[in-house]
Amino acid sequence: MAEDSQRNFRSVYYEKVGFRGVEEKKSLEFLLKDDRLDIEKLCTFSQRFPLPSMYRILVWKVLLGIIPPHHESHALVMKYRKEQYRDVYHALQVIRFIKDTTPQIEVFLRMHQLESGTLPRNVSFPLELEDVVFLAIAKAMEEMVEDNTDCYWLVSSFVNQLNNKYKDLLPQLPKFLEQYLNFEDNRLLAHLRACSAFSKLPYTLWFKKCFAGCLPESSLQRVWDKVISGSCKILVFVALEILLTFKMKIMALTNAEKITRFLENIPQDNTDAIVSKAIDLWHKHCGTPVHLV
Amino acid sequence: MAQQANIGELLSMLDSSFLLILEEITTVFKDNLNSDRGPMLVNSLVDYYLETSSQQALHILSTLQEPHDKHLLDKLNEYMGKAATRLPTLSLLGHVIRRQPSWKHKLSQAPILLSLLKCLKTDTDVVVLTTGVLVLITMLPMIPQSGKQYLHDFFSIFGRLSSWCLKNPGHVAEIYLVHLHASVYALFHRLYGMYPCNFVSFLRSHYSMKENLETFEEVVKPMMEHVRIHPELVTGSKDHELDPRRWKRLETHDVVIECAKISLDPKEASYEDSYYYSVSQPNSRCLQPRQTDPSASPYMDIQSSHGTSTSTPYFASHLSLSQMQRQLPQILSPQSMRLSTEPQQVTIWSPSAICGMSTPPTSPGIVSSESSQTSSQPYSKYFSTPGGKGNPLGTPATSPPPVCISDDFVHVSLPPAAAPPPKKEDKPDPGRPSLSRQQNVINSEKALEVPGNKSSVTLSDLPEFLGYLASDEDSVEKDKEEDAISKEISEITTADAEPVVPRGGFDSPFYRTSESLPASQRKSHSVASSVQGHSLSSELLTSSLDKHGPEGAGDTTKQSFTPIDRPWGASEESPADIREGQSSTDTSILTPSPCKVSAQRRVVFGSGPSPSYEHLFEVALPKTAYLFVSEKTEELLKKAKGNQDEDCTSSTSPMEVLDRLIQQGADAHTKELNKLSLPSKSADWTHFGGSPPSDEIHTLRNQLLLLHNQLLYECFKRQQHALRNRRLLRKVIKATALEEHNAAMKDQLKLQEKDIQSLKLSLQKEQARYHQFQEQHDNIVAQLHSQIRQLQHDREEFYNQSQELQTKLKDCRNMIADLRLELKKANNKVCHTELLLSQVSQKLSNSESVQQQMEFLNRQLLVLGEVNELYLEQLQHKHADTTKEVEMMQSAFRKELEKTKFYIQQQSQRLDASQKRIVELESQLSRKDHLLLEQKKYLEDVKIQARGQLQAVESRYKAQKRITQTFELEILDLYGRLEDSLLKKLEDEKTEAAEAAEERPDCSNEGFADSVAGYSDEAMGRNGETKPVSAQDGGSKDGSSSSKLSTPEKSQNQRGRQFSSLWDAPMSLEPSTNVPLSVGSLPSSKSFLGMKVRELFRNKSESQCDEEGLTINSLSDTLKTELCKDPNMEAKAPPSPDHLSPSPKNQESSVGQLHIMDYNETHHDYS
Repeated sequence: MAEDSQRNFRSVYYEKVGFRGVEEKKSLEFLLKDDRLDIEKLCTFSQRFPLPSMYRILVWKVLLGIIPPHHESHALVMKYRKEQYRDVYHALQVIRFIKDTTPQIEVFLRMHQLESGTLPRNVSFPLELEDVVFLAIAKAMEEMVEDNTDCYWLVSSFVNQLNNKYKDLLPQLPKFLEQYLNFEDNRLLAHLRACSAFSKLPYTLWFKKCFAGCLPESSLQRVWDKVISGSCKILVFVALEILLTFKMKIMALTNAEKITRFLENIPQDNTDAIVSKAIDLWHKHCGTPVHLV
Repeated sequence: MAQQANIGELLSMLDSSFLLILEEITTVFKDNLNSDRGPMLVNSLVDYYLETSSQQALHILSTLQEPHDKHLLDKLNEYMGKAATRLPTLSLLGHVIRRQPSWKHKLSQAPILLSLLKCLKTDTDVVVLTTGVLVLITMLPMIPQSGKQYLHDFFSIFGRLSSWCLKNPGHVAEIYLVHLHASVYALFHRLYGMYPCNFVSFLRSHYSMKENLETFEEVVKPMMEHVRIHPELVTGSKDHELDPRRWKRLETHDVVIECAKISLDPKEASYEDSYYYSVSQPNSRCLQPRQTDPSASPYMDIQSSHGTSTSTPYFASHLSLSQMQRQLPQILSPQSMRLSTEPQQVTIWSPSAICGMSTPPTSPGIVSSESSQTSSQPYSKYFSTPGGKGNPLGTPATSPPPVCISDDFVHVSLPPAAAPPPKKEDKPDPGRPSLSRQQNVINSEKALEVPGNKSSVTLSDLPEFLGYLASDEDSVEKDKEEDAISKEISEITTADAEPVVPRGGFDSPFYRTSESLPASQRKSHSVASSVQGHSLSSELLTSSLDKHGPEGAGDTTKQSFTPIDRPWGASEESPADIREGQSSTDTSILTPSPCKVSAQRRVVFGSGPSPSYEHLFEVALPKTAYLFVSEKTEELLKKAKGNQDEDCTSSTSPMEVLDRLIQQGADAHTKELNKLSLPSKSADWTHFGGSPPSDEIHTLRNQLLLLHNQLLYECFKRQQHALRNRRLLRKVIKATALEEHNAAMKDQLKLQEKDIQSLKLSLQKEQARYHQFQEQHDNIVAQLHSQIRQLQHDREEFYNQSQELQTKLKDCRNMIADLRLELKKANNKVCHTELLLSQVSQKLSNSESVQQQMEFLNRQLLVLGEVNELYLEQLQHKHADTTKEVEMMQSAFRKELEKTKFYIQQQSQRLDASQKRIVELESQLSRKDHLLLEQKKYLEDVKIQARGQLQAVESRYKAQKRITQTFELEILDLYGRLEDSLLKKLEDEKTEAAEAAEERPDCSNEGFADSVAGYSDEAMGRNGETKPVSAQDGGSKDGSSSSKLSTPEKSQNQRGRQFSSLWDAPMSLEPSTNVPLSVGSLPSSKSFLGMKVRELFRNKSESQCDEEGLTINSLSDTLKTELCKDPNMEAKAPPSPDHLSPSPKNQESSVGQLHIMDYNETHHDYS
């Protein structure tokens, strides 16, 4: 890597001392300077390091294919995207599916439904599970992204990615969770099994909504970094870490429903630590993603 | 106390006369002593002894054992301090010491020694002094090394006593001084012998003082003449002679003999180191060491004659005589030699025979004659000189002295005792001759006669002696000579008889003490004595001769003792006679004693040690030793005889007996004196003018005591000598044993030598045999060697032959090889020749053909030659024209050549240029390639970019589509609602009118709506809603449109319509599948329109196939061929992109894409 030589010579020491993310911003800038963005490198980067928030949206957009890798076409493509957004929005307005008062996330949902061709005949048509998931993700995303267009596109792309790319993988995640939990703390696993709570854990919240609504956005961003960059296994480790962190409480609870209820409403105070630990755990078990040269 | 009393009783019983009781008591005492360790018993014993001088007590005391010695010595020391008991204490001490108790080494530490020395230094009593000195002398050799601390005491005592002898400070009787002198002399010898250096230095210092000079001259110097120079004076030193190591290996008797060795006094001296004397006086050593003394005695005599002291010479001489009675015959023998030659024989054989000593006398005869002369002289001198001096002795001791003297003579001097027996032949009184000497002393005038007497005495001694000796050794010879000897003796004695008798008269004064009237006494005495003597002598002689005669030749051992028995028998008689004589005469002094003595002696002899002693000798000793001993016993015997015969008061037996005898004799004497005829005695004494009797008795007693002491001392010395003798005998025995061992060894040696010789012989034999074998072996070896040599020779020959053969073989092989080579060569040659042959044959054939050719050529040549000739002829004819032509042609050719050269040059230039051009072009090409690559990359980039944009656009489009769909759906929904309401209103009538009204004014709209409706129909179909009305409409439109298709020019609307109808076609086709003829009913395929329709259908069918996969293959198959034929038409077919169906558009775009992709390829379609 050419940029590696230009990196700060202190970077090695930063990492050693434990300051992470000092040099990431620079290297990310180097990555983003390339005319044709190297998506694979960006993926590796976002898996290894937390993304700086100022570049997060851009990187996400690139990774989710909302904007092409060429800088030249960014403006054009974004113009198209906006126009499309406007058109769809207008169409929905025309057919009176949405009004000005309609909340943004519902607008996003309707737009997405429209785009995917699953728009119900009536507004009052009951929401399906997918729609609930979308709403949760959109709500989280809305917090993160200011621009509506960007938000819509990100939400839409994110959901599409979940539905397409991880369609096969997502149902297997509970199994992984059981496996790693057994590895990390089999007593807890035994307890959960004894309470027959293991099958009733909030898998939908964790794996389908990707913790949207479970974790605060600042923590969620870091989890989604990994998800967007191509690894949904991080979800397993976050769940595992949540279990481990609240182990004492879980052990105290013997009822499966209580456990589920507790886990669906975990305290939001130290989620950053949970995420950090989860990422460490993930690195530990799945190995640190290497720079693909 | 009871014990004390008991002891007292026991002590009183000690001197019991019963033997049994005596023994019991002594054993009781000894047991007591053994059990009791206290001093009481010893003290009481000592007390008892001092009171009674009991013999038993003495015996017990002298045999005291170790633990009691201290008490005894303490007690003695205690008594020593008291002057009254000093003398008996000393005598007791002397007794004890002479016993040599086991604790004698303690004496040096005992306080008694100190007190003894003190006593000797201070005491003034001569008797005590003499006794003390003797005790001291006895003690000295026992404590040689420990006594050295008192050395100066000894010396000072010596100095004191020697000066005492001269000065006589106590003015004691002269007779005591004699004793003292003797003891001092002995002390001198002892000190000089033991500590010569110290003693000499003492003498030097002591007598260098003027006041002592006289003493030295008078007393010490004469003593010094009797000693040799001590070897220690040369080799030793003061310290060395005090060194304990010097004394450690010497026993008491060794010390005594050491002292005796250096003495020249015949009485003192001992000559064990015989060579001293063998050198100085060879003749003297005739029989044995002791016998050599006689030759020494003359010297002593000389000395004594020189001596100023009166009695010492006497005593000395007497002592020497008494000790060496054997020497008398020797002394006298020279004198007797004048008369007879026999003595010489005696002297000759004796030493060698008896001693077997290493030093036989050299020319004894001559020397002896000389010595005899010398010895005779001294005697004369001796007798002459003492005469003057003798007076003092005689005068004080008026009558009693003879008794004393006789006593002295009896037990001190043995020569008289030895002498008598021979005298008895002719002399009646054997004891007298010795006394005569005393008489001589008294009477100097008779001195001249003494030699004669002496000689007679000696002569008389001889025969007996010879007889004994002869009987001992050469009995046969002796027997022969005996008669002659006896004859001679008898002659001599008879010759001397006359003079002797008067002398015998002189001898008689032996009894009498007065010198003033010797004659009267002599006469009276002589009668008695003569009677006595005769009787005795005759008896003795006969007995002795008788004994010697028969028994001499027989058993020698018996012989030596038998005479003793007889004499006893005789003596028993003689005492009686004497007693009678004595009783008859006034002097019956000796009469009682003989009885007792004889009785005692018999007892002593009976149980005495001599027989056992002798017996031991007999058993233990070899012959030489036995001879020696036998001689000794003879001496003893003679002595005893002499003593007995002469005096009857003493004996020659062991000293105790003698001592006791003397003492008891003395006691008896005193008793008798006291009891008997005191008045007569007193009368006698008074008659002789003697001193008061009590004084006299005291003096006599003292004298007796002194004599006793002296005797004891001599006894002690004798004991030491006896010890010495025993040791020497042991040595002799050892020597003989060694000799025998030597002899045995020699025998063994001889035997071994014999063995060696025999072994040597066998060795020689073996050697000879060995040599023989060796030779045989050598022969065989030589034979074998020769064989081997021969065989080797043969082998070599064979070897040579084989080698020759081998060389031949080699040669043969070589030849064969050569031959083979030759063969090969020959073969080669053959082959070669064959080859050559074939070649040659070929060549031959060739040559034949060549010859043929040659012939042919020759022929041709000939022909050509002819032709040539012809041409030559022609040429000669045509020569002129051709040259011009040739030249022209040449120039033309040259020009042509130049031209071509130029052309070539031009061409090459062109070539260069073109080459350059090529290079340039190539570089351009590569640049172009590069560019192309870049372009490709760029294009790729752009493509991707475009694709991204396209995707966005596409998504946009999709969104649009969705929007429109939604819209349509909405519209349709609305329509549905609207129609529902209209249907309800208008029902059937208005349907057609409304339809027509809608169709005409808004045709385009209708078409569009139619298509949209179709589409929505489709969508609705999906939704499950069917619209049969529209389908019917479509079907009706189809029919109308088909009719309109016939015209090629079509308006936009028419086209749209057409297309919309086309769109509808699939839907209409669905029902039309049932009627395929409808298609076939379309315009004919040959017409243009039909073709178009078909084309359209194909398009539609294709798209339909994609979408629905309907089976119109038959139709499409037929149409495909035509489509290929006219692609241009197809390309121009889609006029508006906006309303084109997605599939053609897709196809178009995909084609475009293909075009873009296949940029490098040439398009078939466009080319």
